[in-house]
Amino acid sequence: MEDMIKGNHAFAEAAIRAGATFYAGYPITPSSEIMEYLSVRLPEIGGVFIQAESEGASMNILTGASASGVRCFTASSSVGMTLKQEGISHMADSYLPFLAINVVRYGTGLGTLDTGQSDYLRDTRGGGSGDYRTFVLSPYSLQEAVELIGHGFDLGDKYGMGTILHTEAALGQMMEPCTFPEMKKVERRHGSIDGTYSFERISPLYRDRRQEAIDEKAKYDSIKENEQMWAEESLEDAEYVIVAYGLAGRSATGAVKQLRNEGYKVGLIRPITLWPFPEKAFDKVNKDVKGYISVEENATGQMVEDIALTLKKTIQSSKPVYMFANAFGIPTMKKIKADFISVRNGEIKEVY
Amino acid sequence: MKEILFAGLGGQGILTSGLVISQIAVSKDLNATWIPQYGAAMRGGTANCTVKFGNDMVYNPAQEEPDILLAMNNPSFQKFVGMVAPGGTVVIDSGLVTCDTDVRDDITVIGVPSSEMAIEMGHAKGANIIMVGVIAKVSGDITEEDGISGMNEMFRKKGKSKFEELNTKAFKLGYNFKK
Repeated sequence: MEDMIKGNHAFAEAAIRAGATFYAGYPITPSSEIMEYLSVRLPEIGGVFIQAESEGASMNILTGASASGVRCFTASSSVGMTLKQEGISHMADSYLPFLAINVVRYGTGLGTLDTGQSDYLRDTRGGGSGDYRTFVLSPYSLQEAVELIGHGFDLGDKYGMGTILHTEAALGQMMEPCTFPEMKKVERRHGSIDGTYSFERISPLYRDRRQEAIDEKAKYDSIKENEQMWAEESLEDAEYVIVAYGLAGRSATGAVKQLRNEGYKVGLIRPITLWPFPEKAFDKVNKDVKGYISVEENATGQMVEDIALTLKKTIQSSKPVYMFANAFGIPTMKKIKADFISVRNGEIKEVY
Repeated sequence: MKEILFAGLGGQGILTSGLVISQIAVSKDLNATWIPQYGAAMRGGTANCTVKFGNDMVYNPAQEEPDILLAMNNPSFQKFVGMVAPGGTVVIDSGLVTCDTDVRDDITVIGVPSSEMAIEMGHAKGANIIMVGVIAKVSGDITEEDGISGMNEMFRKKGKSKFEELNTKAFKLGYNFKK
């Protein structure tokens, strides 16, 4: 088996293996080891590493790199990602792909250094000004993170969009073994700036924005149809379905296995794409399900809204959705099991 | 699946102890995770990490109910002893944990004077490795040979093989410690 490796180092190496050759960013706990690793590793492969003067500047630098067709990425954490939103919005407007790794730390404003999932709504709704989305991918292990980073770059190139790897402080800081793919060589994207005016330049003044608006809607519809990803356990006969992503989803996976062994009919949906939200998973649930339970690492509940919205589209629109917010830390399997029992015993009021 | 909580003072090599155990497990083709308490920590402050390993996937990598607790100072013992699983084991540095340790009937407490033993063997910084040896033995999952080879391989890859002889000696002292 492979050696233990720290999450942040694995994220950085995965991006390099996926063919990324350009990084610009600004350090922030708990993501800084990504930059530290890249400061040595990118020069080794002939790539470019830039510590920018600020988060905002790092996105402007990435704009140039992406416009030049280079596979590029950045990393930060929660409040640092807030500062990148201006650039993310501008890149979205120019259909420029990039990958941003958000190692979420819990809290509002400056927040804390603890692990959490408090940026769900910000990241899945675009985040900056305007009318756009980015792909939002959430891994529950380092192996899955490695795979999603490669996939995230490919999605970005395919659709001309940004991708956010939405992970947690705990996954960035923890260690476990994982295997990396071979180094991939990626050619510069066709149509990008090459210094010789090979392609027609389109001034913002002459863009057909009305047509673009129609095209954007069609593109997002196509993405929602084709790019949903999730993992599931025992949905066919489930009386209750737990929904959780990232490390909360990992803990919930264990809790659901234990509950099944104890004879409870409980299922699990673990969203891997947070945007597009895996609506299709809900079609597979037992039609007599009694309710859904959102398990999140925040204070107020965020994903619970997407679960309720998704149910509107199914024959289960009247089913209750419960929510357990677990600020400060990964919910333990013990806690998830106890919360499930309290829902089952009718001790908890639904959110929707 | 085993859950081990390593706790002590920043600078004692606590996080490294946990990492060595996790790497030994991985070298035996087991699944393993290592997760630190991190944040605004400093040398001289408290430090802890949780290691889990076993044949199955490790689900929640963070603390649930440790089977084994290593406590290298009083605050660590007092803070975490209540979390230990019934039937579990607490390993303490008997020279450093001076508080009352007879607080639960359903756990075993093993006192090891690892800091003194480390000084005696001429490897003052090796107390954490002595404790790695103790924990490898207590876990029941790691043979002395596997432990030593897994540990030495890890340090070799980190470019720290010059301590191999001393680390091996420290590990053996811990593994074969008798009360």
